[in-house]
Amino acid sequence: MTSPLSSAAAASPTVMVEACGVEKWYPNGFHALRGVDLCVHQGEVVVIMGPSGSGKSTFIRTFNALEDFQQGSIVVDGMPLSNDVRNIDAIRREVGMVFQQFNLFPHLTVLENLTLAPVLVRKRPKAEVERQALQLLERVGIHEQAQKYPGQLSGGQQQRVAIARSLCMEPRIMLFDEPTSALDPEMVQEVLEVMQELAREGMTMVVVTHEVRFARQVASRVVLMADGQVVEVAPPEQFFTNPQHERSKQFLRQIG
Amino acid sequence: MPMPSSLQRLRRELFATPLDSLISVLLMGGLTAAAAGLLHWALAQAQWLVIQANSTLFAIGRYPLDQQWRLWLLTTLLAAATGITWGLLRAWPRPDRPARLWPRNDVLASGLLALLALLLPAALALTPPLQLRWWGITALMLLARWGAGCWGPRVPGPIRRLLPLAWPVLYLLGMVLINGGLGLMPVPPSQWGGLLLTLIESSFAILLCFPLGILLALGRRSDLPLLRWGSVLYIEFIRGAPLITLLFLGQNILGFLLPGGVAPERVWRAAWVLTVFAAAYVAEAVRSGLAAVPRGQLEAARSLGLPVHQALIHVVLPQALRVALPATVGQFITLLQDTTLLSLIGLLDLLGTARTVMANPAFLGKNAEVYLVLAVLFWCCCAALGLGSRALELRLNPNANVRSTLANAKA
Repeated sequence: MTSPLSSAAAASPTVMVEACGVEKWYPNGFHALRGVDLCVHQGEVVVIMGPSGSGKSTFIRTFNALEDFQQGSIVVDGMPLSNDVRNIDAIRREVGMVFQQFNLFPHLTVLENLTLAPVLVRKRPKAEVERQALQLLERVGIHEQAQKYPGQLSGGQQQRVAIARSLCMEPRIMLFDEPTSALDPEMVQEVLEVMQELAREGMTMVVVTHEVRFARQVASRVVLMADGQVVEVAPPEQFFTNPQHERSKQFLRQIG
Repeated sequence: MPMPSSLQRLRRELFATPLDSLISVLLMGGLTAAAAGLLHWALAQAQWLVIQANSTLFAIGRYPLDQQWRLWLLTTLLAAATGITWGLLRAWPRPDRPARLWPRNDVLASGLLALLALLLPAALALTPPLQLRWWGITALMLLARWGAGCWGPRVPGPIRRLLPLAWPVLYLLGMVLINGGLGLMPVPPSQWGGLLLTLIESSFAILLCFPLGILLALGRRSDLPLLRWGSVLYIEFIRGAPLITLLFLGQNILGFLLPGGVAPERVWRAAWVLTVFAAAYVAEAVRSGLAAVPRGQLEAARSLGLPVHQALIHVVLPQALRVALPATVGQFITLLQDTTLLSLIGLLDLLGTARTVMANPAFLGKNAEVYLVLAVLFWCCCAALGLGSRALELRLNPNANVRSTLANAKA
């Protein structure tokens, strides 16, 4: 994993994720990623769209090694991904992830969900982490629920807790894997607003979503993936009004 | 619709049609006759002398007379610790509901304990000093429960977290008291017996088979082929062999395999066999719990940077064990009852002691009395395990918390 590309990425501080020719086969032989390249700069919001089964989720899950890949290279925040466990843990500390199904820990209170990782992994004092956690919960608008269990919250509230939980680790980059797909329609907006706010504060974000409005308003670039490949990368205005590729046009017709 | 009175409900449920009435009358008649018969036998015909004369034997076997004070001391400590734990559990508030010092069940249980302490020693015809000791121990336990309930809220937080450690310490202390050592005269395991031996064997096996079972369950789901196949082989081999054959194997083969003197005492060999046996079943219970935890939980924990072992300890296992708890406790109860097999390999557990008593010419033909007492003793132990597990389940289940808060919110 010492291609000239990765060392170049390590030298440049503004590149947060550099994926190069990533190829992945599932154990059943399915070719999920077919040479995907993507470069995400600091402070950018990259929205990845595409039909289901196109490999979008699989692709961003390779960034923090939740999925492995067979060929190509990925450099996250200057650290080339390798199979070394310590390397993977180091990268995961810097990369926050928000899941479609929230994946809050149901046996812990909201506050404990937030403080668990910073106390265990970053070894920070509990009182200090709790103070920060309460501030974060206030930012996402649910500090009154800090002592409740996730099962007592609505879907939208749970997803906002999940975002706060990731932020509590003070990540350098945030990955969102279809964060609003499992939500009731009336709760989508509250989650998108939190994400928008986060983008405004300069967080580097990679978002897999079907929310066109969010992509138009927040994205720096939109990436269209289909059949395990990147079809088109363009600024949102251009992507939505004047897509260059036939596959993009077809996709926009389908969701439009 | 107004709630029907209990009399109306009884009528509706038992005497709705002529056929229902007939079945109800027959069933109730049969049950009453059986109960009356049992009562008549227990009070008029049964000769309880066999129990009265052998009560010490049933309790502790042939533990030397001059060392029995150690067991009394241990019983006293256990009673005090139980009382204190019980009181503190009631006194400390829980996240989901306010503390209630004296729920109705606790009052009932205390009354029952006091009644037993008054009646049982007399029924067993213990000597007055022994009766006095039992009264004292029961009084100490209830007093400790009352005191801990009163002063519990004033215990500061750091000490609260350390207090549960008192139990493992007490367990080790108990082992020293029973076994000897640290200046106490050693009492070899061959002199332990009765309920004492049953409780030692089962508690030892329960305490050790649980962590062993968790490791085996994790091993069975591991990505490392060697670990996975090792665990599968272990679990399937143990589950494929009857316990009694393993016990015989442990008694006979271990002596040949290990050089002379190294093989542990027979009592401990049996305890290890029980542990190894139960661990395979606990592993399967825990595996079902692990399967119930969604994959996303581990992924979320790992994506937050938790290393595998921390993700397992703090995120996956707490949820998995909660699911596996009822099945695991069921396994513990089975294990407790399986200790009776020890009598077949010549150990004097409760059943073994009972068999020696029944073989005594002085008590020939008193099998019914002995077996009834044995059944009641085992029922008490299993009921205690079951109660403990139900309480733990309620405590560990956040969904139960949700339900109670929702109910509070509606009220």
